[in-house]
Amino acid sequence: MSLLEKLHSIDRRWIYLLAWIAVLVPLANPLGLPVSIGRDSTSYYNYIEGIPDGSVIMVTFDYGISAMPELYPLTVATFHHLWSHNFKVIVVASWREGPMVMDIVLKEMKPAETYGKVYGEDWIELGWFAQQEVGMAALGKDISGTLPVDYIEKKPTTGFPIMQDVKTAEDIDLLVSFETGTPGLPEWVRQWGTPYGTPMIMGCIGVMVPEVAPYLQTGQLGALIPGLTASAEYEQILKHPGLATAGVDAISMSHLLVIVLVIIGNAAYFMSKSGGSS
Amino acid sequence: MADLLGVWVTVFFTLAIYTFLYKENPWFRIAESVYLGIATGYIITVDLKYLRDQWTGVWSSTGFMMTAFAFAILIGLLWYFRFSRKYFYLYRWPLAIIVGTGIGQAMQTIIFAQFLSQIGGQISLPLFVAGDPLTSFNNILIAIMVPCVLLYFWFTGGTHEFGAMKVIDKIARYTMMAGFGSAFGYTVLTRYALFIGRAQYLLGIPPNPPEAKMAFITIAIAFLATLIGYDVVKKQT
Repeated sequence: MSLLEKLHSIDRRWIYLLAWIAVLVPLANPLGLPVSIGRDSTSYYNYIEGIPDGSVIMVTFDYGISAMPELYPLTVATFHHLWSHNFKVIVVASWREGPMVMDIVLKEMKPAETYGKVYGEDWIELGWFAQQEVGMAALGKDISGTLPVDYIEKKPTTGFPIMQDVKTAEDIDLLVSFETGTPGLPEWVRQWGTPYGTPMIMGCIGVMVPEVAPYLQTGQLGALIPGLTASAEYEQILKHPGLATAGVDAISMSHLLVIVLVIIGNAAYFMSKSGGSS
Repeated sequence: MADLLGVWVTVFFTLAIYTFLYKENPWFRIAESVYLGIATGYIITVDLKYLRDQWTGVWSSTGFMMTAFAFAILIGLLWYFRFSRKYFYLYRWPLAIIVGTGIGQAMQTIIFAQFLSQIGGQISLPLFVAGDPLTSFNNILIAIMVPCVLLYFWFTGGTHEFGAMKVIDKIARYTMMAGFGSAFGYTVLTRYALFIGRAQYLLGIPPNPPEAKMAFITIAIAFLATLIGYDVVKKQT
């Protein structure tokens, strides 16, 4: 059997094994490959830095547990950034599993002990709102009416000091969205960006980038962190290395493997084509 | 002890799902069924909690509000006629309300948010940005490619047979191929990112629990032994 025939009949499980090796080996034995800082992560960082102290920032979990491997490091880094300033942070979720992810964030970050943030004064979690885009529209019109009870203390939302001056989307100075699909940015732009002019920045999984990138060009989106690699860059800018930085070697090696496999696959294809025609 | 048990259970189900890469097997089936069961249970719990919060926070305030809430619940219950052949038509009422309100809400702003804004963004792109040749090149490409792709989907009057349109069609095809290639590349990025996240957990990389590493080695050996062992025994008999 020629090499070409062997390549055509290779068991796909060997490819899976190579993928496991390409990820596990650099994770277990870090290579220390450098992380170059790109424009996206710098822009995201600068956008938050440009927000004045005391501003009200709404963070929305538009993803669930399944997207945690890619978006969780960015979520932690962003909360580290926000809680390192004197912002008022309101956390909501358009995905049902959002509050579950936030539970894990809180367990790791401990905002009261680490950042001295008081629940109800400096930040609040309002939980999940139903009905996706319709829910976003309702939230924009009346935040406390749409989410009348907070998620953590289960008390009336209107009773917390942070909510005294926050009634509608017009009182929100920035919306930070972590997104993995629908509902996500297009819905926020339709229900908050266009009617209220709420500024937005976001982090998303790689698959979403071609869909949301056009909003950057129009200015409807202020900044975008696309995927795990840019999250690692953002961690580097913050000097707060986390899981994204720890995964950089594995990202590089796995992508290298994909590139090599694409080259081999194309070479085999063209070789078989030229062999067939001769 | 509960935390340790949680780590082992997490590693077990992570690896059980990945055994599908070897082939369809009972470990994967168990993990798949448990996942679906837990996810469904979680959704129902969250929905009931949301209803409770809505009742205590807003809808229990006046008699009219209570009646409206009860009416909404009754409409919601009509969903379950999906399972009745005789009264199936009742299921269409809540469906119509959900679809109608969703479309109506989106239509209010979609023209401004996603149509006019994109056209405006396209028109206002500066073709030459002083001191930034890459951005200039990028903007020129966008100015050429976007109209070409739009014209590619213009099917009126057989215009695609003319010479100029053939060139436009070619540019449009290359543009779309570049777009699909970009989407594929980002898809690979995401798939690997998801895998890397799970691998970090399996290896116990902080802040993940270090106990996961031992659980990973033990359970991986057990899975491989059962899957490969079963195949070897089957081959021999």
